[in-house]
Amino acid sequence: MNIKQIAKAAGVSVATVSRVLNHPESVAEATRERILKTIEEEEYTPNWFARGLNFNRTKTIGLLIPYNLNSTYMEVANGVEEVARQKGYITFICSMENDPQMEKEYIDQLIMRKVDGLILLFSSMDEEYAQWIETKKVPAILIGECKTRDNWDSVNVDCRAGAAEMTAHLVECGHENIAMLVGSDPEPEMDSMLQGYKNILKANGRRVDEKLIMNVENSIEGGYIGMKKMIGKLPKRPDAVFASSDEIAYGAIDAIKETGLRVPEDIAVAGFGNDRMSALMEPKVTTVELPYRKMGIYGARVLFDLIEEKHSSRKEDDNVEKRPPRKIELQTKLRVRKSCGHQGRIGEMF
Amino acid sequence: MLKTDFLGMKMPNPIIVAAGPWNRDGLGLKESLQAGAGAVVTESIVSDTTLDVRPYISCDGKGAQNIRLYSDIQIEGWERELAIAKSGGGIVIASISAQTPSELAYLASKLERFGADAIELSVSNPAAESLEVVASHADTIFEMTKEVVSTVRIPVIVKLSQNTTNISKVAMAAKAAGAAGVTAINTVRGILGVDLETATPSLSTYGGISGEYIRPLGLASVAAIAQTADIPICGVGGIRTAENAVEYMMLGASAVQLGTTVMLEGKEAIRKIVQELEVWGQNHNLKNISDIKGKALENLKSFDEMKFQPQVSRVNGTPCGENCELCMSACMYRAIRKEKDTIKVNRSKCTGCGLCTFICPAKKLKLSF
Repeated sequence: MNIKQIAKAAGVSVATVSRVLNHPESVAEATRERILKTIEEEEYTPNWFARGLNFNRTKTIGLLIPYNLNSTYMEVANGVEEVARQKGYITFICSMENDPQMEKEYIDQLIMRKVDGLILLFSSMDEEYAQWIETKKVPAILIGECKTRDNWDSVNVDCRAGAAEMTAHLVECGHENIAMLVGSDPEPEMDSMLQGYKNILKANGRRVDEKLIMNVENSIEGGYIGMKKMIGKLPKRPDAVFASSDEIAYGAIDAIKETGLRVPEDIAVAGFGNDRMSALMEPKVTTVELPYRKMGIYGARVLFDLIEEKHSSRKEDDNVEKRPPRKIELQTKLRVRKSCGHQGRIGEMF
Repeated sequence: MLKTDFLGMKMPNPIIVAAGPWNRDGLGLKESLQAGAGAVVTESIVSDTTLDVRPYISCDGKGAQNIRLYSDIQIEGWERELAIAKSGGGIVIASISAQTPSELAYLASKLERFGADAIELSVSNPAAESLEVVASHADTIFEMTKEVVSTVRIPVIVKLSQNTTNISKVAMAAKAAGAAGVTAINTVRGILGVDLETATPSLSTYGGISGEYIRPLGLASVAAIAQTADIPICGVGGIRTAENAVEYMMLGASAVQLGTTVMLEGKEAIRKIVQELEVWGQNHNLKNISDIKGKALENLKSFDEMKFQPQVSRVNGTPCGENCELCMSACMYRAIRKEKDTIKVNRSKCTGCGLCTFICPAKKLKLSF
């Protein structure tokens, strides 16, 4: 069935059906109800692509994520899609495979396909590329920090505070030699976390030992290899390890167990992210919850606001660009479980 | 007579229906308004409705314990719900709850656009995940309120908690940040009871206690804020009758909210309380219900200000024909004895604590010089 047939069945004009679909508030309640009922009965679905042409929109957005085998990034995507779906949008999810070149190619492709907006998750784009996107006038927003742009609308999580809270927890648990396994991505967040870690050590009168900070790939394998090196090569092995992601923590726990040592009695392991598996590991991993889904939800909200703004004030385009960037700041939360050897229940209960 | 101006909102009466699942969508809100509420507050709207724990409610004759009562409708859906809620007229206040100032400001700005008449910041829910509720920190409340106030033009109300050492300080922080008013109090962290046979608490985690259990706490909080912070107050906690509403207003509230009563007795309770309040006002020759606001505060003093009090209990109307010994057994100073039909108070032993005057079913005793 098409819109003309719906109009006929409901006994109204095509324009009225169109208004019900696009500006329902402008149609009298009784008429609107009648038309919606007809639409439901006839199982009519509007042709989104045709609608896009009418409104100069394709009703599609592009979401670029660093890597699609990392479940945490897919949680962000889940949040984006939830909002996009409600707005009648389809989301193209493109995985950059941690490759900046691939990020560029995807953005190129998405803009060519006339997406209505872009969400870049933990983008590593360079200055030149950021400028190029800006000239294309495609609404684009960032989730996570981006080294080259801090004046776009964005959603951020305070990773420094999260890392500081975790390091403070490890100090409180009585650990002396607290090492850190720092993942390869996302870069700006890693820098923030490292700062949070160092700040707390200094605040507690500890020396920051660079030997205890190791860069590893952000994966289970990365954590495993990093931990093996730490146990094997360091003159004095750490009594606690703070991993910059839960995956790294899983790898580290595997390596510790394999060496015949115990978690947390010999080496405590803390993660970051609160990945679903973290509560199912043995021991259950103490970690920092990152609101991944909420990052996606707010990312989509901020993008759709930007798209609306651009469409409703075409002539005053400049004004949109001149307003201060909209920034949503989200919070982390410490999740105390069993892998760091704390005493008492208070941290777990509340 | 009941007409009330609360923060510039012209309400037909001062009875507001509080945030909760009874106001979970447009229809629920509309029903509350149709039952005669002066205004309604939405169930708390959050950044993301995904549940880690689903909502639970337990109750007994006096109150309820709940965990996780948040709206299950995303902010996107509230445009439609607010339109439904307001389709018959009436004032709708949007309750929002989130972890950071920018999230709260975002939700508030959307709800303002969707037609909310005011925003209530729910930052005091004890069933949230941390030991210290957000509203126990004056500086956090200041930051959150300020961000929201600078984003919207409609009045911003901050809902406060008893789970703090100094509620006045938090109320003053809200005012300093530009809040138009405060609501006091949210539920209080508690456990309703334990099933002895199964050794199981009423709910499997700590929750927010509401109902009659918290009315004395609510009354004290409202009075404390009224006496220390210059900000309009909406009183809430255990209101079941019009008299309870009057108590809150006499202690400084400009308006009051009903929650648990509506949950346990249905929306007819709204109509009943509004009607009772009208009758109470007429019986007391009130022109305007706001005339009673703060009346009881004149009789609520600090230790320093308390005047010399009547010192001993006197027996009012002897002989006492009551077949009870409550006054004697309650007197911890052994000052009361009964001889045949006569109650005798030993004036040298009586300290004037007054307990017997409350405990006597026939009100035979009173304090005097």
